[in-house]
Amino acid sequence: MSAGGATTVDMVVFGVLATLTTFFALFTITRRNPVTAVMSLVATFFCLAGIYASLSAHFLAVIQVLVYAGAIMVLFIFVIMILNREEVAPFSLRPLRVLGVLAGVYLLVKIIDVVTVGLPEAVPGAAPDGFGTVAAIGDVLFRDFLYPFESISVLLLVAIVGGVVVSRSHQKEVAAVEAHDYRHQIEELAHHDYPGEPPAPAAPEGYH
Amino acid sequence: MTFNLRLIPLLPFLGAAILMLFGRKWKRDTVLIVAAGAIAGSCLVAFDAFFTALPRAAAGGGLHDVVGTWIAAGSLKVDLAFRMDALSGLLCLIITFIGFLIHLYSSGYMEHDPDYPRFFAYLNLFCGSMLVLVLGDSLPVMFIGWEGVGLCSYLLIGFWYTSNANADAGKKAFITNRIGDLGFLIGMFLLYQYTGSLNIPEITAAAQGGGALMQPLWGATVAFWAALFLFVGATGKSAQLPLYVWLPDAMAGPTPVSALIHAATMVTAGVYMVARMHAVYLLTPGAMAIVAIVGALTALFAAIIGFAQNDFKKVLAYSTISQLGFMFAGVGTGNFDAGVFHLFTHAFFKAGLFLCAGSVMHAMGGSGDITIMGGLRKKVPWTHGVFFVCWLAICGVPFFSGFFSKDSIIGGAFGTEIFDAAINPLAGEHLAWVGKAVGVVLMLAALGTAFYMSRLYFLVFSGSETRASDEIKHHIHESPGAMVGPLVVLAIGAALGGFIGLPGGLLDHPEWNLLADRLRPVLGPEMEISRAMEIGFMVGSVVLALGGIGLAYLFYGGGYREPARKFAAAAPRFVQLVRDKFRIDELYGFLIIRPVKAIAKGIFFVVDRILIDGFLVGGLAWVVDLVGSIARWLQGGDVQRYMAVFAIGVAAIAYLATQPMHTFFSNALKVTVNGLTVDVDAHRGSIAANRVLDYSFDFDDDGKPEVTGVASGAHHVYPQPGTYTVRVKVKDPSWGTSSTLTQKVEVR
Amino acid sequence: MPTTYYLVLSFVLFLIGTAGVLLRRNALIALMGIELQLNGGNLAMLAFSRELGDLKGHVFAFIIIALAAAEAAVGLAILVALFRGRQTVNLDEATLMKR
Repeated sequence: MSAGGATTVDMVVFGVLATLTTFFALFTITRRNPVTAVMSLVATFFCLAGIYASLSAHFLAVIQVLVYAGAIMVLFIFVIMILNREEVAPFSLRPLRVLGVLAGVYLLVKIIDVVTVGLPEAVPGAAPDGFGTVAAIGDVLFRDFLYPFESISVLLLVAIVGGVVVSRSHQKEVAAVEAHDYRHQIEELAHHDYPGEPPAPAAPEGYH
Repeated sequence: MTFNLRLIPLLPFLGAAILMLFGRKWKRDTVLIVAAGAIAGSCLVAFDAFFTALPRAAAGGGLHDVVGTWIAAGSLKVDLAFRMDALSGLLCLIITFIGFLIHLYSSGYMEHDPDYPRFFAYLNLFCGSMLVLVLGDSLPVMFIGWEGVGLCSYLLIGFWYTSNANADAGKKAFITNRIGDLGFLIGMFLLYQYTGSLNIPEITAAAQGGGALMQPLWGATVAFWAALFLFVGATGKSAQLPLYVWLPDAMAGPTPVSALIHAATMVTAGVYMVARMHAVYLLTPGAMAIVAIVGALTALFAAIIGFAQNDFKKVLAYSTISQLGFMFAGVGTGNFDAGVFHLFTHAFFKAGLFLCAGSVMHAMGGSGDITIMGGLRKKVPWTHGVFFVCWLAICGVPFFSGFFSKDSIIGGAFGTEIFDAAINPLAGEHLAWVGKAVGVVLMLAALGTAFYMSRLYFLVFSGSETRASDEIKHHIHESPGAMVGPLVVLAIGAALGGFIGLPGGLLDHPEWNLLADRLRPVLGPEMEISRAMEIGFMVGSVVLALGGIGLAYLFYGGGYREPARKFAAAAPRFVQLVRDKFRIDELYGFLIIRPVKAIAKGIFFVVDRILIDGFLVGGLAWVVDLVGSIARWLQGGDVQRYMAVFAIGVAAIAYLATQPMHTFFSNALKVTVNGLTVDVDAHRGSIAANRVLDYSFDFDDDGKPEVTGVASGAHHVYPQPGTYTVRVKVKDPSWGTSSTLTQKVEVR
Repeated sequence: MPTTYYLVLSFVLFLIGTAGVLLRRNALIALMGIELQLNGGNLAMLAFSRELGDLKGHVFAFIIIALAAAEAAVGLAILVALFRGRQTVNLDEATLMKR
């Protein structure tokens, strides 16, 4: 236990993991290619899992890897494969949004200010036995948080149904719209003197 | 004595309401039965009422019917009440009887009109309004009818509203009448102001007492101004100078309307009103002189215009104006019963003339152009006969009705004593000439009347051939029985109507003058003229009438003759000027309408364009647009923007939360001074209450705090009196924020 | 390790996530930014949980992970639908409601 109560190993591990986390997080939001971004995100989550472990949150660390780095990211990858399109300008630096980010930075400064002034720099005491283990969390989860836990299952069910409903294809509607467009085109054609008339010469520049 | 007088106007009103609601779907016969039935019922009730009223009226009473209180406000109480005496009774009879005849006539005349039910609904409405006008017991009730006939006149003149000219004529009548109505209203207000009542009998009583109305006002008396303003109303309604311009244009309406409104009834409302308010007029010879002069000038002026008109109905319209001038000259010279007498006879012969005009136009295929007529004597014999009688009546040929009535007016004008200061103490010296002058003008007008009416007669009926095209000539036919029947009745009235007003004084049997006899309780004794004068005027007027007819025969007998052409050629510009009605309409257009339009345009621009469109409408829209654009900016559906705003908001809260505290709290220390001892409390209220803060108190502002600690209050004793600055520094150790409070204290 | 370090790191993560949501046009990346924000929150939960020796924070983190899963499922489904309709997942072009 050194000054402040943290061991050097702890410091090094946290320092490395925190740096990597921050780095990959930044990488995530700055990459043009979504696949790269997702891979960085996965890396972020792995690093975070390590940090969770250093907080004696072993169960959550595992969950983080399983659910986030596994399930959710796979979902992302799938969607990216469906939607992947080149972005022309990935950032939209509108003043208000930049201002929002700057406000966030200001908030960060303030929070650092607060946590360093208001909270003790000491390391918390040793965690109780079994802190963060599956047994301990299960005990709390199924004893004190049974109803919220069951609500989560409902939430997930609704999310699945919602996802299916929202993303299913609307073939009929699309067909109807296309038919309407087609009819419209025919009508436009009918207004020409005869089919196949060459388009009128373009108006001179500046004439609108 | 009460009598259901309300029935008289109510029946036509009911008829109008029923026809407006259901008439559209009915057969024409049903419509006619309802309309004519309503007016016939009204006529019967009126007759019954009249003969019930007469004996009582002779004693100065009459029939009275109070429907209920209409207006009760403070000292003003107006009943919806009707009163019938000899005067209003006579008018009622004229209106309902001639109205009934015109209903019958219209059934033929309007036979093919698609708006048959609407026409009869308006006719009924008109008769009802007119009856309210004459029966009204108070000026406001009278005013209902006054406005009602104005409205109906507008509706009927513009009856064929699809033509712009007709609609314009209707508007012109309405607007011109409004000008007069304003005068009527002002007169009414004046009378109420000074007599405290709007009831005609009460006003009459007040006027006969003299007092209240003889007060000076604006350089004259109250009575003068009240009478003058009422007369302004009368000039509008009765088409006198200068407000006569609407009447000739009103010929745009269907001919029966012209007969009913613009001859027999509505236009006489002004004359009736002056006669009704005669007590007020008698107080003010000055106003009467104005009435008489305006009447006489109108009579002559309109007669001259009548010389050159080529439209059948226009000639009759100017004739109406002219005859109304006679009536006003009559009432204006205090000869009220003569005015009413002429009103009565005129109602018959003018209605007859107008209906003849309709019949002739009917025969001529709708054209009223007398230059293409001629020789109709044999082609429409019944119409010709009726016209002939009415022509003689209006010209004043002896023993026809117009002879008696016109003669009594002219005689009265010369014989009046109203303007003679020696006899009437109210009259000023300078008014003595009025009677004679009016008489002379009226005689000229009578000559003119005979001339233009004879011109009309000769051009339309005399001669051997019609100047119209063959197509029209082929079409000429006598009108159906429904039209001819009423004509004959009117002709009889026109021929014999004069005998109710025989010049009794002349024949040593004053009671033979039935009319004057009956009207005496209402209008006072009739005028006495010496027998020599009366015979003189009679002979004179016969000579004038015959002279006018003879002159017209010279000019127009059997068609346009040489003298007529020569005269027209000799003074073409004058003839054109007369034909253009002296261009009075154009004068009004220049003097009144154009400035009003300019003002309206200015107001339109300033009020409408700038104030209403610009500020109210545009401004509101602009504000809504602004709010909307702000709201759109805030609520744009752009989640990223929401998030940015959210982040900024959180940052703002963080900023505010970590500000030095005096941003939130007043910069005042609680300082208690007691001699040299000072107690300072820097407690910041409840928010900071449970937070541990560090205070440092610097009582003399020298940078060295005297007291420090977590207590918010401090105590200090100054060594000597003086003015010190207390500086308190408050620090929040956990947030790292601090604030400084300063205050000056004075110790002595 | 002092809890404050974890808290600062958690807010840094949150801030990076916020910046991703705010500044990126690609809806996918924005969704990833939201995941980062949620993880930032999770880290703070766990840090406080450790500080206080109370497992409730773990439970909340657990719930948040489930919520993130649901959010990702629905969000990605919406993106797929959006892409179907408009051939783009550019957030700046999804402005139909703005008109």
